[in-house]
This record gives sequence, C-alpha cells and structure tokens, in this order.
Amino acid sequence: MKTYLAQRLGIAALTLFGMSVVIFVLLRIAPGDIVDILFSTGGYVNPSERAAIEKELGLDKPIWLQYVDWLRNIATGDLGKSYRYDLPAWEIIKPLFPVTLELAILSMIVAVVLGVPTGVISAVRQDTTLDYILRVLSLAGLAMPSFWLGMVIILALVAWIGWIPPMTYVPARENFKLHFIQFALPALAVGYRSSALIMRITRSALLEVMREDYIRTARAKGQGERTVIWRHALKNAILPVVTVIGIEFAFLIGGLIVTETVFNLPGVARFLVQAIAWRDYPIVQTLVMFTAAIVIFSNLAVDMLYGVLDPRVRYGGG
Amino acid sequence: MASWHFAVAVWTALAVLALYPAGSALAQTPKPGGHLNVMLREDLPQGFAVHETATVSSSFPSMPCFNNLVIFDQLKRQESLDTLVGELAEKWSWQDNYRNLVFFLRKDVKWHDGKPFTSKDVKYTFDVVREAPDAPAKLRINPRKDWYANVEAIETPDASTVVFHLKRPQPSLLLMFASGYTPIYAAHVPPASYRTACMGTGPFKLKEWRKGEYVDYVKNPDYFIKGRPYLDTIRYLVIENRGTRMSALQSGKLDVSFPGEMTKTISEQIKKAVPQMVVTTVGQTVSDNIIMNVKKPPFDNLKVRLAVSYAIDRRGLIQAVHQGGAVLGAALPPKPWGIWGIGEQGLLALPGYGKPADEKAKAKKIMSELGYSPEKPLKVEIGTRAIAIYVDMASFVINELKQVGIEATLKQVESAQWHPMATRGDYQIGANLTGLGLDDPDANFFENYACGSPRNYSQYCNEQVMKMIEAQSQEVNNQKRLELVLALQKKLEEDAPRPILDWRLDYFSNWPYVHNMIPQNNIYNFGRMQDVWRDK
Amino acid sequence: MAAVSGARTATPAPAAAVRRPARPSAAAVLLRFCRRKPLGAVGGFIMLVIVFTAIFANVLQTQDPIATNAADTLARPSAAHWLGTDHLGRDIYSRILHGARVSLLVGLGSTAVASLLGGVIGLLSGYVGGKTDLVVQRIMDILQGLPLLVLALVMSAALGPSIPNVILAISIPIMPRAARVIRASVLSIREFQYVEAARALGVRHLRIAFRHILPNTIGPFIVLATAQLGSAILVEATLSFLGLGVPEPYPSWGRMLSVSAAEYAQKAPWLVLFPGIAISLAVFGSNLLGDALRDTLDPRLRGA
Repeated sequence: MKTYLAQRLGIAALTLFGMSVVIFVLLRIAPGDIVDILFSTGGYVNPSERAAIEKELGLDKPIWLQYVDWLRNIATGDLGKSYRYDLPAWEIIKPLFPVTLELAILSMIVAVVLGVPTGVISAVRQDTTLDYILRVLSLAGLAMPSFWLGMVIILALVAWIGWIPPMTYVPARENFKLHFIQFALPALAVGYRSSALIMRITRSALLEVMREDYIRTARAKGQGERTVIWRHALKNAILPVVTVIGIEFAFLIGGLIVTETVFNLPGVARFLVQAIAWRDYPIVQTLVMFTAAIVIFSNLAVDMLYGVLDPRVRYGGG
Repeated sequence: MASWHFAVAVWTALAVLALYPAGSALAQTPKPGGHLNVMLREDLPQGFAVHETATVSSSFPSMPCFNNLVIFDQLKRQESLDTLVGELAEKWSWQDNYRNLVFFLRKDVKWHDGKPFTSKDVKYTFDVVREAPDAPAKLRINPRKDWYANVEAIETPDASTVVFHLKRPQPSLLLMFASGYTPIYAAHVPPASYRTACMGTGPFKLKEWRKGEYVDYVKNPDYFIKGRPYLDTIRYLVIENRGTRMSALQSGKLDVSFPGEMTKTISEQIKKAVPQMVVTTVGQTVSDNIIMNVKKPPFDNLKVRLAVSYAIDRRGLIQAVHQGGAVLGAALPPKPWGIWGIGEQGLLALPGYGKPADEKAKAKKIMSELGYSPEKPLKVEIGTRAIAIYVDMASFVINELKQVGIEATLKQVESAQWHPMATRGDYQIGANLTGLGLDDPDANFFENYACGSPRNYSQYCNEQVMKMIEAQSQEVNNQKRLELVLALQKKLEEDAPRPILDWRLDYFSNWPYVHNMIPQNNIYNFGRMQDVWRDK
Repeated sequence: MAAVSGARTATPAPAAAVRRPARPSAAAVLLRFCRRKPLGAVGGFIMLVIVFTAIFANVLQTQDPIATNAADTLARPSAAHWLGTDHLGRDIYSRILHGARVSLLVGLGSTAVASLLGGVIGLLSGYVGGKTDLVVQRIMDILQGLPLLVLALVMSAALGPSIPNVILAISIPIMPRAARVIRASVLSIREFQYVEAARALGVRHLRIAFRHILPNTIGPFIVLATAQLGSAILVEATLSFLGLGVPEPYPSWGRMLSVSAAEYAQKAPWLVLFPGIAISLAVFGSNLLGDALRDTLDPRLRGA
C-alpha cells in the first residue's frame, strides 16, 4: 500500500508539473497582456512606456526564463504579485476560498441528499412510472445549464414571491438567515446538476449489484427486501457512488464559476474569470494550479478510499 | 389686548406651519451620521491611482479620499467657471494676462496620516503628471500629460502659495484643476502606493478595500471643513452584473446609482417599482461617435466620410439604442448639458442632421458616383469594443450603412486590444465612445483632434484646424472664444474624421432619504460626498 | 466493453435446408430501436428537429436575426414576434433558430474533433503500449486534470473569439476522455486471438490497428460522441455566457442569456426563458439519444 501511495504521489507531482507548463504557456499565447489592459484603462498607448512596464513586470524575458523564475519563487513560497492589484497573490485570494468552499460543500450536500435516495428508489422501482419520472427529472438536471437554472430561480422568486434574494455578499456573522439563503439558492442550482449524475450512477450501480448471485441467495434465504437492499446491495453499490461523488466534487468548479457570477458571490471561481480577462498571470496560475491540485488529490483520496472500502483493490488487484 | 396679540401669534404660526410641508423645515437641516451604499459597476482598475487611469470607475470611488485645488460646487448641477469653488486653495488669481496662475492654499489641511499639506505636494503632483524634466517621481501610465503641456514651471514661494508659469495664455487650465481626474497626491508617498491604498486629504479615509467586493470609507475626523462630512461611513459595492445592480438599487441595498449607469429604460423601470426614487436627468459628457482612419482607404476620401455621416440617422440611433436617453450635438455637448456646444438650429446645417431620407439620399448619391450601391456595396470592416453598449451602437450603424451601399462587417475587439488597434490605425472604421474629463474645448480638441495625439484615433491632422485649436485656447475673451469654438466644431463635422452621433444622458437615481447627492453634467467631476447626508 | 462482433467465426452453412434469416432492413432496426428505447427515440426526434432547424433556419425565420428595430424593443411574444423581441428589437424566435446553427456547429465540431483526435491517440497509444502509452496517458491526465470549463476558458482567451477557435478550445479538454475510452477498448481487443493470429501471419501493425481493431471500437465511439455532444453544447453556452464564446453577430444561445437577459430579465422574462429552454432541449435530446445508443450497443449494461 505504501509503495502504491508513493507511486501515485509521484505521478501526481509529475502531472501537476505538466499542468503548470500548459497553463503557463497558454496564458502567454493569449493575445493581449496586462500592459495592454493598463493602457486601455488609461485610454491611450505609448510604446516606450509600454517597454518600461514590461521590464518592470519581467514580461520582456523569454518565456522559459519566466517559467524558471516562477518555479524558483514557488519553491520559496512566493506565489507572485498580482499584476492588477500590486499585492501578493496569496493575500488577495485567501479571503475568497471560504466562500467557494462553503458553496462547494453545500452543493455537494444537496447533490448527495437529492441524488442517492432518488437513485435507490429508482433502482428498486425499476421500470415503473416513478422510475421514468425520476430518470427524466435527472436527465433534465443534466441538460440545464446551471447558470440558467440560477437565473430562473431568481426570476421565479421575484415573480412569485416578489422578493429579490440578496445580491451582495452577506457574511454569516452579519445576518445568518440571509447568508444561508444567499448560499442555498446557488447550491440548489449547482447541486441539482450534480445530483442527476449521482442519481444515475447510484441507480445503475444498485441495479447491477442487485442482479448478483448473493442477493438472490439472500432473498431465497427469506430475508426481508429492506434488509436485502440496505445490508447487502447498498454496501456494495456504494463504491462507484463514492467515486462519482469524489470526481464530481472536482468538476463542481465549472458550475461554481458561472453560479458565483450569476449570484454575485465573492469566491475564487468568479475571481478566476476576472483574472483571466485581466491577464493577471500570477493570479490565474496560482488559482489554476490550486484547482488542479485539488482535483488530483481528491482523485487520489477517492482511490485510497476505494482501497479501504474494497479489500479486493487493496492488495494490488485493481 | 394681550389675547388679541396671542391670537395673531397663534394664527400666524398655524399659517406658517400650513404653508411649509410639515417637518420639511426640519428635514432641510443636515443630520450627521449614517451610512451610504453606493453602486460600482466594476472593481477599481488601478486602485486609487487616479492619475494613472482615464475611467470613471477609478475617479468616482476615489473622490471621497482626495481634494483638488479647486472644484465645481458639488451642490450645483452645472460645471463652469462660475461654479468653481476652492478646496485646497482658498483664493486664486490669474496674472500677466492669463500667463501665470497663482493659488493661495489653506493652511489647516492635514493628510490622512497627520502630516501637514503644503505647496510642496501641489508642485510634486503636477511636476510628476506633466513629466517635468526634474520630476521627483514617474507615473507608470500617464493619460493626461498633455493637459499640462503648456505649463513651463511650477514655483512654490512659500508653504501655502503655488504659481503655475505658462508658456502662453490658457484660460482653460484653471478648469482642469477642478476635474475629478486632478486630485492632489501626497509628496511623501510614492505614486505607485495609490494603486493599493489612498493617502489623501479628503473628507473620508479609506478603511478597507476588499478586492472585487467593496471599498469602505470612514469619516475623516480632522477634515479641514468643520462639521463635515455628515456621513459616518460609505461603502462602494462592486456589482458586475447589470441586472443585479438594478435589483440592488431597487430593493434599497444600494442608495445611490453610478454616474452614467442609468439608461432611460432602466430608470423608468425603477421609477415604476419605486415611485419615490429620485431620478435626475443629467448629461454625461460622453459621446457616441464614429472614428474613421483618414490615412487609409476608403476613408481617406472626404466624400466617403461624409457619406457615412449622412447615412446615420442620429435621431433614430438615439431612439433605437438609448430609447431617447441621449441628445444631438457636435464635438462638444450642447446646452443645457454643456456650455460650448452647437444648438439644434446650428446642427441642422451640418452633415447628417437633416431629414433622414434626404440625408441618406445624399449618401447614396456619393456612393453611386464612386460606383457603389446597396446591391454592389463598398465592403468595410467596422471595429468596436466587445462591450454591450458599443456593440448595440455598432449594430445600428451597420444597418444604416447597409442602406446607402456600404456593407460593414462587425469586428469585435477585446477591450485590451482596442486602444492599441485604434492608436496604431489598424482599422478602417470604428464605433467609439469618448468621455471628456471636462466640458472644455482644450480638454477635447487637443486630445482627440490634434496632430499626433495618441487619442486622435482617426490620425487626423489638419493645419488649419490646429491653428484654430491653438487660437481658441489662448483666447481670453469668453464671447470671442465661444465663437471660435463653434466655428471649430462646424469645421470638424464638415471634415468628418470623427462624426459625433449623440451625447449620452444619465438618469442618475438615488433614494429620497439621500440629500445633497447632486449629479453634474459630467460623470467625472462629482461625488466628493462631503455634503451628502441622509435622514433615515 | 466493446461489441464483440468480430469474434464471430464463420460457420459453413449446412446444406440448403436451413433458411437463413434475412438481414433486417434499416427501417426495421430503427423501429425496433424506437419500441425498445422510447426515451432514446424521443431524444433522436429532438435532435432531428434541432438539426432540421439549424439547416433550414433561413427558411423558418420570420425576421432577419440581426436586424434591429428601435420601435419594438422588449416586446412580449405576439403574432408578429412569436417569442418576443430583445432590447434591440431583434426577433428572438429567429435568433433562436440561428442559434441552433452555432450550437450544433460548435457542439458537433468540437465533439468530432475531440473524438477523432482522442480516438486516434487512444487507438495508437493503446495498440503500441509500453513507454509511449505511459507518456501519452500522462499527457492526457494533465489535460483532463484541469476542470473542463477552466481549461476551455483559458484556451478561449488564448485563441481569441472566432468559431474555429471556440471549437478547438472546447475539443482539447474533451479529447482525453475520448482517448481513454478508445484506449480501453483497444486494450481489451488487442489480446484477442484473431489479432494474435493476424500478427503471427505478419500483417503490418498499422493495418491491424485500423482494419481489425478500429471497427470494434465504433460502438464505444458512438456512445462517447453522443455523450460528449451534450457536454460540448453546454460548454459553448457557458463560454458565450461568460463573454468568451462565439462573437457577434452570430446569434448564440449562451450569449443571448448573458447581457440582455440579465439586464432586462425582470421586465422581459422571455429573454431568459427561451434561449435556456433551447439549450436544455438540445442537451436533453443528445443525452437521451446517447443513453439509448449506449444501452443498445453495450450489452453489458442492457437492462440497466
């Protein structure tokens, strides 16, 4: 197990390294850079001033040299200074994480609470009307863009209750009720979508398990249907479900980006979009690498969890 | 006898009370205290470094922190020489026939860190901005260097006197000091520090800037005007999504709108939802215009440029794109929104202002003489910034040009590419917006029409026009100057390097419990917040 | 994982007495599909309607989708404008029709590019195996490790707004998925006896790869493609919503939702509803179809 972990960590490090190169290069290929944008806010362009700023920010060096400098700085814990805000990138990003984390966790909770039970019901009542309805609902959830769902929720609230949800961030300390509502709505929009996926996986995993021999044996032995499902089927179906939950958590980021934009939440995802527009390389690089690291390590965690839950995997069989 | 007197007194008192709406006499006395939520449509681009930017998103939220030498009276709508009042300067005077400008500064002003304000700070600020040869510091970006091109030297005979020595007379210079774009920087902090924090002398101190979220100000207890400011705190909230901004204003989460933000449609929407909302119609000193590269075909041909000007039905554009929320005008905004603009009568004589059908016929005639028609059109590419307000205008223009035989395909340019592209002349025709930091001929003509100016996107250079620009700049007689400026505007429309389509209006909105928040006809020069108070 | 049709060995037909069942006609196959998988049929129908709309948008439109009309902005749905007008007076119905073109073009384009590119990479990587396979897989991991939208965002910003660039920006992040699926099926087929036999006979590798293995990956390929189509359409809509997708003047469902919708949503809710319904329908249809196809072509999951 230890060597397996070490191996995976090694691969993870390599992957992160590769990602850093990809992001670094992509950003610098993009037309326009921070200097263009700074001049744009000034409403004019001046070549000599431009050259001076490029030198100040180190953008006149060749790309590989900039990359090496960046790596060297990371090694000393320096994530760079935001081009736009002139402050250390970490300092600017730090207060944004709690918001995104809260939204992500809430969305995940919504997804699991909605997805797993409906998946179970759908599997147990396979091919009945209820099953079809639930499947269509979940497919609808996969089809709707989450930002659109967010907009529709807001519209519906305004139209039916005549109430506009809070559109500027309210910290929990200030007003817990408003804060909760402010996060509940986007969590619903994002969670609904994830719940659809979880529902489908739960359903198919459960169905597959229920066909297995030992289930038939349990039934033949006269054990109640409830026991069969809960004691035997679910326990074994849980594995792929956990996997999907883990993977979904990482892919949540996409949904978070638009939802934070629609609901005006000051989180990391929304900030990333703005930073890309501003070509604020240090911020984008830091955020993307962070996201990538989270994705990779959550995948790793899920795999490890897999190993814990499924003894077959633990001993090199996977 | 006594009872009769008493009765008169009572009846008089009752009459007085009946004549005045109850409590309004009390309501007019400003109440100190309270908090204000103000709208911002994007985060500060470069913090409080106003001298390094040219956008209202930078100037407006920085106003509470700074002071100018002089400012336009924040309690009046119009901005003009007559409404100029002193801030850091108590008195000022022109000397030597508008060649020297002397300011006598207040002696009781302190920076937010307690250090005293002196003439050294003024000299520092303007030596840096005009890039004087011995300037003590340098701005990274300097959009208004040319405003001070005429300043020869700045002298500080003592700690509370500053003298600007000019190369030639320039009456407009005084007004330039009143713009929201001309705050006074502190000599004891580097200019770059303004990108992250604000060292000012203004009525409010910066408390916190949460990037992407809000800017928090707190009252400056040592402000040099006793009893001001009235408000305790102000928060400028960043809301990037327009619909969300409007919802916030409508629901009272925001108390005040952002200059230039409220279109006619939206303000009507809000007024319907909140009948008590105070909506004031003001000019923005922002124009929609068409830039044409006069150095490249086909727009090097004056006739083609005129065809474009004829083709665009400006009144139609005002209806279509602004729903009536804009006015006609040439290179400077017309009365009552501005002082120097050509009025409706004068406009009728200019290309593009007649009856739309007639004007389009003129355009079609020009194009057919050149061999083009709506069936066989001249193909061009029209560029514009990839922002909704630009694109809407461009879409309308494309439609108009189609009808006279010019087929323009839209090329949307990302904001960051727009200025380099325009400055380099890397385009044929573009749909553009221009904001003037000041309703003043000098602020406009030198920037946008002078030979070699980086913001003269049309690459236009006309000797005669240059002479006219210089002449009006030096003219100290106001009446004569007005005549020169009117003639100049006429000439520019007839040469059509940059036909003006309209001047936008703003339907500035604020809740009725906010008092003394007076919008002015220029979005860049109000918002000091010194006299604003609320009574709820 | 793959439909193992290739493993059927030819049995010489016994003498004439046995009647060979006729090969079912295409129509019969279709009918059987519709009966067995009603949801898939619905999905297929929806996709057909959308494709039809995209192709014949010019004929079906009631107004020019880019023509502005100052007099009639934000009009409610009516006889003149079936789905109302937007803030510039443009007919929403016609814009939605043309938006189908963009969504399908970008969706199909990026799916095709991703699947082909990914498929070829997966095929070769899986077949060759060894170190090459390892390196290629790591590269795929890198591309896949970044969340889809984030990578598409950065690529879109990097390449600039234009339809081919958006297609590329969306296909690159999707490609690793295609590669992985194809590679997995290749790995399982590679070991089959007939492949070994072919190799023993000295058939060139490339020929084996394309002649024998590729046809057996068609099943998973189709499944993958239809599954990714929905994803691609969504990503395009999201990119347009964020302002990074297909540029004006092409009407795009996603962009219709960004500016005018958000601004005037309260006054004119139809600006928000209709483009969103269009996107949802397109993705819904392709997902239904994809699900049904997968169920049909992948016997392991039959009955699920």
